[in-house]
Amino acid sequence: MTTFVESTVRFPYKRSLGPVIGQFMTALTERRLLGIRAGDRVIAPPLEWDPETGEQLDPELIEVGPAGTVRSWTWVAEPSPQHPLDRPFAFALIELDGATTAMVHAVDVAEPGAMTTGMRVAPRWRAARVGHLTDIEAFVPGEEPVVPADDAGPAAEPVTMMGYEASIVYTTPLPGNQERAGKAAARGVLLGFRCPRCGRIYSGLSGSCPVDGLLLSPEDDVELPQVGVITNYTIITPVQYPGQTETEPFARVQVLLDGVDVVLAYQPVADLPNVDIHTGVRVAARWSEADGRKVLDGWAPTGEPDIDDPSLVNRIM
Amino acid sequence: MTTEPVAIVGWALTPMTRRTVNSEAELLFEVISGATEHAGITRADVDFSCAGSCDYVAGQAFSFVQNIDAVGAWPPKRDSHVEMDGAWALYEAWVRLQLGDIDVAIATGSGRSSTADPATVYPMEMDPYYLAPLGADVVSFAALQARILLDAGLVTERQMATVAARARGAAQGNPYAQVSGEFDVDALLEDDYVRNPLRRHDLPPITDGACAVVIARGDKARELTDHPVWITGFAHSAEPHHPGLRDLRVSASTTRAARAAGLDAAPVEVAELQTTFTHEEALLTTALGLGPEVAINPSGGPLAANPVMATGLTRVIEAARQVRDHGKQRVLAHATSGPCLQQNLVCVMEGTR
Repeated sequence: MTTFVESTVRFPYKRSLGPVIGQFMTALTERRLLGIRAGDRVIAPPLEWDPETGEQLDPELIEVGPAGTVRSWTWVAEPSPQHPLDRPFAFALIELDGATTAMVHAVDVAEPGAMTTGMRVAPRWRAARVGHLTDIEAFVPGEEPVVPADDAGPAAEPVTMMGYEASIVYTTPLPGNQERAGKAAARGVLLGFRCPRCGRIYSGLSGSCPVDGLLLSPEDDVELPQVGVITNYTIITPVQYPGQTETEPFARVQVLLDGVDVVLAYQPVADLPNVDIHTGVRVAARWSEADGRKVLDGWAPTGEPDIDDPSLVNRIM
Repeated sequence: MTTEPVAIVGWALTPMTRRTVNSEAELLFEVISGATEHAGITRADVDFSCAGSCDYVAGQAFSFVQNIDAVGAWPPKRDSHVEMDGAWALYEAWVRLQLGDIDVAIATGSGRSSTADPATVYPMEMDPYYLAPLGADVVSFAALQARILLDAGLVTERQMATVAARARGAAQGNPYAQVSGEFDVDALLEDDYVRNPLRRHDLPPITDGACAVVIARGDKARELTDHPVWITGFAHSAEPHHPGLRDLRVSASTTRAARAAGLDAAPVEVAELQTTFTHEEALLTTALGLGPEVAINPSGGPLAANPVMATGLTRVIEAARQVRDHGKQRVLAHATSGPCLQQNLVCVMEGTR
């Protein structure tokens, strides 16, 4: 019976906009739409380079729209969380007046029967605009833009950055060796794997012998010793990013367990100040217990003499 | 550079399924073992490997690194990765063999689409300013292009349903296919739309799977097999990323790639096309200049199984199979990537007379 693990990966991007897209986004806060000349064409929304020739385009933008013509459309009956509207809507290719190319955006109508190729649409503006494509809440049928009564007005400063956050939920099957290793760790046991061909013993979550190109199976499980040596390390000065909980410089070490061929990578330490970490320190696993399960807190010095082997530092994977 | 020809000498696919319990690395172990065995070599004989896969599909940064375990790291190998379908990995491997210093390469494609909703994954590959913030997903893009073709009279909904019924009928003979069976076109046309004008049958299934192809140079290929499938033309071409900038009634990059691959030099008997959506078949056959005498997707194509990142490389395998197992002389495989057929690859293969 396979165990599935659910995880949510967030991608909170912040992007600089540059001279062309920045102008476009700034204009959105002013309820204006801009395009850029590229030869005989007017590209809207604007790009920095001519898609045909690769030439940089003159960043002298021209106003287009605000109304436009639907060149194609589709009906989204079940919106995803990332779609601009949380009720059924149309995606459309909209050629803004004065432009020769189409932009993708949502059209807010009640049902697909309200959509036709060639129909006229205009933007419905958000009251509070930040310089983001969704400052246009959606397009609506007709010639006239819709402006909310509580319009907050344009941005005080030119818009130079934009945020974009995606969030994807993954449901991933847990490989058998990882499940066995996880269950062993909950008992305070480090599980490893012995390649049946070359005899190398692997630590960590590897389910295969990369040297022999061989998948390992439960018969290859071995219990590992919990004493080894630090081969290499890094001291990390935390920068704040979403999900970062560390505030002070912290260490991650590579530990080569006795009799094992591959290091345990990126391990925390216990009772070992950053200044005392170096290649060759003998360490042992330090466990604590929570809710009846063992948790590896980190690797603590055993007090034994250092291992003096300059080649150890190369053992990083 | 050498002009010595390169041939496909072995391949393998996993069964294509809605949801696998295997990791991507495990899928690759299966196909790399299978493809090397098919070619009559071991992992140690492989000089270069190139993988096509996608971190956003896998949901893990640097997911391709652990996949290298499946190639076998000893003796040390030259390795590369493309964040593209495995067909582009094969292209890179083919280019690598042109350098003339190594003889054997393997290309893989792998993906597990089952692990997340593809509609939330796809926008991650879009323009981050104008497209991704709208959650612009692959099915919506396809539907926008389908309507343009319908409005232009280049395809009808009935023709689209006919493509689906033919593909899934053909897939009954394909042991690797995920969706197959006899379907009635009139019944299909009674279904509701998923993304108007696309119905369920116009869309590919969500598929997990992987495949691998072994290629070899000149005499090495002849030494390994009496039936090398020679790659006689190979090219790819891209168009602007934004669908709104392009004439979506045609596929200019497909035509350009086909010309560069020398498709016009002689007729082909079979074409395996990455028609992920039904309306794309009419568009692509026109872009490639294929007449009604050419058999399209006898494997069932992507409408029968769509392992994202392996779908294109599977087309190469299925076309090569037509040469090696069914006596065809000249075939083509097509792969695509990006919104509304943005980037297209054409591979022409021939048997030895």
